[in-house]
Amino acid sequence: MILILIFLSAPIFSQFDTDFIEQCSDKSGEDATYLKDFQVVLAAAQPNHVPPVARYPLVLSKNNIYRFSIFTAEESEGKAILQLYDSNKLIFSSYDKNTGEEYNPFNFMCQKTGIYHVFISFREGKEGQAVGILSYVTK
Amino acid sequence: MMIESMAISDEALEEIVQNVSSPIEMAALIKELGVPFSAKYLSTTDYVDHYNTSFKMAYSLGVFGADLGYLNIYDKSTQIVDYLTAINKLADGVKVGQFFDFTTLKRLATSRENIDSLMFISVNSFNNMDSYLRENNRGHLSALMIAGTWVEGMYLVTQVANEKSNPELAERIGEQKINLNNIMLILNNYKEYEPVADLIETIKPLKDEYDKIEITYNMGEPETVEQDGMVLIVQKEESIVNITDKQLNNIINKTKQIRNKLISS
Repeated sequence: MILILIFLSAPIFSQFDTDFIEQCSDKSGEDATYLKDFQVVLAAAQPNHVPPVARYPLVLSKNNIYRFSIFTAEESEGKAILQLYDSNKLIFSSYDKNTGEEYNPFNFMCQKTGIYHVFISFREGKEGQAVGILSYVTK
Repeated sequence: MMIESMAISDEALEEIVQNVSSPIEMAALIKELGVPFSAKYLSTTDYVDHYNTSFKMAYSLGVFGADLGYLNIYDKSTQIVDYLTAINKLADGVKVGQFFDFTTLKRLATSRENIDSLMFISVNSFNNMDSYLRENNRGHLSALMIAGTWVEGMYLVTQVANEKSNPELAERIGEQKINLNNIMLILNNYKEYEPVADLIETIKPLKDEYDKIEITYNMGEPETVEQDGMVLIVQKEESIVNITDKQLNNIINKTKQIRNKLISS
């Protein structure tokens, strides 16, 4: 069996209208200030292939609390998962496959200024559409 | 030296562009430290009609974008209108006006009916303008806009640090080394454009100062706790910026010189 890991970098064109993204941002909470969004449209996984993943770099700064939220579009087949990575190390996932628990949104108290990555995929490798929101949380 | 000689693929460049943090975070930090709002930190919009080349327009678009973020964080919606007007003019000049919903932003600012929406549309508009420029082979203008935003954000925070000594501010200024390295990589990719090459030369003394700053790291495993019904991941790995008072003062002074030169030229 040949497994190919597919990483897609940030999609170039906007997939969602601004109103939808603003609604998602509003749902991130009153203490959260919108910083950026991650718009994802992914095809279903091919047989014997690892599900596609969209990958986005971002800089996070020390002493800041960031909120990561993920919103799956209504017409999406699969439910979206947002994962935060530091280099190749998973820091947290919005979904725990082992327990079925969902943690959306989640906050991250950054203590190391540097480059991180957000990975967005869909459960069971289904095709899907989603918007991830990065917000700054007021202390 | 290494940075200046690197050739960057479009994909890598896209990644680097995403790796410049938002000026909103700096403005929010200033506010959280209890520093009152001051219009003297802002760049004047009086000379917007003098910015008559796409390079000057793109750079100034970034400058006013940073100022808009500062005004938004402090809810200074009446003063925002001047900046919205200037940004609208510059965005039209650079042909990205379609991403700047001036009418809605002006209505939100004057009515004060929805400050959150004003903030969202402002930040989202800049994200979209920047993406559009890069997607349409005008990455050099995006680079200038990013640089303008960063230099103006640096000016805001260094001016505050100059008036209010604070170790957290000093550390945040020091860690801008990461952003500056990314910005230099982006600018170097477009150095065949004379205004970009000039900008690199102008910023270089600040880069030289930042090269002396050391950032070290302490290792640790993140902890997960629950706070107000939400999961909070507390990072235990830590970055530590080693910045002396002299280095900080040099950065404050050089940032001021560079910023003032760039907005007046």
